[in-house]
Amino acid sequence: MSRMKRIYDWFEQRLQIEGPVREAVLHKVPRNTASWWYVFGSAAFTLLILQVVTGILLALVYVPSAAQAWESLNVLNHQIPLGWFLRAVHAWGSNFMVAVVFIHMAQVFLFGAYKFPRELTWTVGVFLLLLTLGMAFSGQVLRFDQDAYWGLGIGVFIMARVPLIGGQLVHLLLGGPIIAGATLSRFFTLHVFIIPGTLLFLAAVHIWMVLKLGVNEWPMPGRVVHRETYIAEYNKLAHDDGIPFVPGAFWKDLVFSGAVLAAVFVCALVLGPSGPGGQPDPSIIQTVPKPDFPFLWIYSVLSFLPPSLETPFILIAPIAMIAGLLAVPFVASEGEKSWHRRPVAVLALTTVAVAWAVFTHLGMYTPWSPHMNAWSGDPIPVRYLREATPLVRQGAVIFESKQCRNCHQIGGHGGERGPALDDIATRMTPDQMRFKVVTGGGNMPAFGKNLSPPEIEALVAFLETLHPANEPPAADAAQRAIETGGGAPPPVGGHSY
Amino acid sequence: MRLSTLVALGLPFLLAGCGQMPGEPHSPPVPPEQVTDFATLYARNCQACHGTGGQNGPAMDLANPEFQALVDDNTLRTIISDGLPGTQMPAWAQSAGGMLTDQQISAIIGGMRRNWAKPDAFGGATPPAFEQPKGGDANHGRQVYQARCAGCHSGPKRQQLTSPVYLSLVSDQALRSIILAGRPDIGQPDWRMQTPQTSGPPLAPQDVTDVVAYLGSLRNPDVVSAAPTPMPSPRR
Ligand code: HEC
Ligand code: HEC
Repeated sequence: MSRMKRIYDWFEQRLQIEGPVREAVLHKVPRNTASWWYVFGSAAFTLLILQVVTGILLALVYVPSAAQAWESLNVLNHQIPLGWFLRAVHAWGSNFMVAVVFIHMAQVFLFGAYKFPRELTWTVGVFLLLLTLGMAFSGQVLRFDQDAYWGLGIGVFIMARVPLIGGQLVHLLLGGPIIAGATLSRFFTLHVFIIPGTLLFLAAVHIWMVLKLGVNEWPMPGRVVHRETYIAEYNKLAHDDGIPFVPGAFWKDLVFSGAVLAAVFVCALVLGPSGPGGQPDPSIIQTVPKPDFPFLWIYSVLSFLPPSLETPFILIAPIAMIAGLLAVPFVASEGEKSWHRRPVAVLALTTVAVAWAVFTHLGMYTPWSPHMNAWSGDPIPVRYLREATPLVRQGAVIFESKQCRNCHQIGGHGGERGPALDDIATRMTPDQMRFKVVTGGGNMPAFGKNLSPPEIEALVAFLETLHPANEPPAADAAQRAIETGGGAPPPVGGHSY
Repeated sequence: MRLSTLVALGLPFLLAGCGQMPGEPHSPPVPPEQVTDFATLYARNCQACHGTGGQNGPAMDLANPEFQALVDDNTLRTIISDGLPGTQMPAWAQSAGGMLTDQQISAIIGGMRRNWAKPDAFGGATPPAFEQPKGGDANHGRQVYQARCAGCHSGPKRQQLTSPVYLSLVSDQALRSIILAGRPDIGQPDWRMQTPQTSGPPLAPQDVTDVVAYLGSLRNPDVVSAAPTPMPSPRR
């Protein structure tokens, strides 16, 4: 006791930290804040620490040079014992962190916790979200494989569209006009020094405010926030029906953080690290680049927008979204906190969540670009060629060699930009197919200039055979009338094109 | 609670001792131009047109041992490297604008021979030469066609063999290869014409050349471009 106590006292006399810590740990919070709903913020912070620790370990091996980055990740994956696991934990930690930060934000929004006097806590939180996304994106670039390379390329194209200063922005980000050695150094600096430094600092400010202002009380319908009375009301609540922050509320944070860490480890063990995929060699075009999870929705939104709206959307939407988030606590700094009395807020949150889920789902399952390597691997299902004539067989060759597969599925393989063609003959007559192939339209390129007339005929002959055995191919009503001797034309079905 | 964290932290190290975890990556990815495994090369580059396992595809049945016996390595290399201009068979060598290195092309040739060639594919018979010689008597070819081919190649479905649209898409050499080696996967007999439906002696070398010349003479591009033209585009 005595020696330890003396050492402790020596430090305490100089640091004088015991008082503030004791105050932070034991301060009273309203009893009802000890809720399982209030655990996401601390989990986000736990994940941040996990990322810092695993990040430092990774940086011991990673070589931030364009020539060696990819190689060094392969060394981690295959040569250093458990190196792959370290990469996997860092990657899954990042996914979880993005998710937890978003959930935390949604919960804070739903509980009205951003209202007076916690406006600045929310504002700092918005920047923490942006920084977290910045970490996820710059981390993806450091992987420096094909996905990273093309993902960054697309990001840069987006940036280059900023009026007037687009070029300079790109130059600043890439360290030159193109993705090269300097690019990786810049992103390394961003990912390892600038963003995490800011992130840790702002996280500290954020937590400081949470401790100082107290954990948001459980929202009750009718308990309305007024600037003049709120603080007194809150203090009374914390005093009359309060419990010390530690351990009263804190144990739930600990349990949840532990569970999240365990989930990260399990994902890492079972699903492994992400990549590195193919080498980041721009001359290798056999690749289907896909952005990492948090950015998928942007790509699917972009791929559904008409081209004329792309630039305005890219430039205005992010600024509008950030401005909207920052404005929240200032627009509604007083009033009801309970979701029972805030239908607009609940509706807005639901809309955003559903839209986000839908677009992410689309991004996951619908290629937002053609499948550039689909054609070379996937054969035409044998059953489609069993009855083929020589011309049909040639049509099938052309179908493969012109890479219709990039955008169209057949037999369950191929792109999803255009419709699957397995029963195309029931939907279009040969004339309609010919017209569509030659002139394109509705997102389909026109192939008139790239196919000779016999090639078109062969292709149409092949497409004409694509219908289920029990469903006849579509026919031109007028022609059918002529063939059947001028009777009343049968009903036209399914010419939906 | 602290215990659960500890267990979670310790778990991977415990498990790492028990062999491969599902998440552990297998082997590093091989850059595409360093792949020399025949199965991979064939699946990535050829099977779309030539079919899984070299048959049942829309283009030539490469797994036919007779085809493998007819064509020598140098010819194969030229065909694969430079493609067959004017047809859909692309050039694969990097020197010709393709994606494959010379080693990879050698690996494909070696793999085809290993997997698909058979000793004595013709059972002692000597087939006509692989390459189509210049010249050839189209008139005689027509008689051969009527006598030996039309039996199977008539009727509404098979007419297309003499259709100029079809013929303008295939080379003489492809026609010759099909006649010589046959396509067991789709029911086309080889030059010996031994099937239940047909009888008679094998086609003589001159017959083969002349049938190809006949089919070639039907390949009239004027007829082809007069094929129904698509509707004009309503707007640009
Ligand atoms: C886009 C479709 C396509 C792909 C892919 C393709 N081929 Fe071909 N190939 C063809 C066609 C069509 C022909 C017949 C061309 C003609 O009319 O002469 C052919 C002919 C050939 C021939 C000569 C057959 C004969 O009739 O004498 C060989 C050998 C061959 N291909 C090998 C390959 C190999 C090996 C690959 C993969 C590296 C490959 N092909 C990939 C379409 C293709
Ligand atoms: C025993 C019947 C039979 C005879 C005889 C026959 N063929 Fe065929 N041939 C077929 C069948 C079956 C097919 C595949 C179905 C189709 O293409 O219509 C075929 C297909 C073809 C093809 C198209 C192959 C492809 O890859 O698309 C050509 C070319 C061909 N035959 C040429 C000939 C020639 C030339 C002769 C005469 C020397 C001939 N055939 C004699 C049965 C026959």
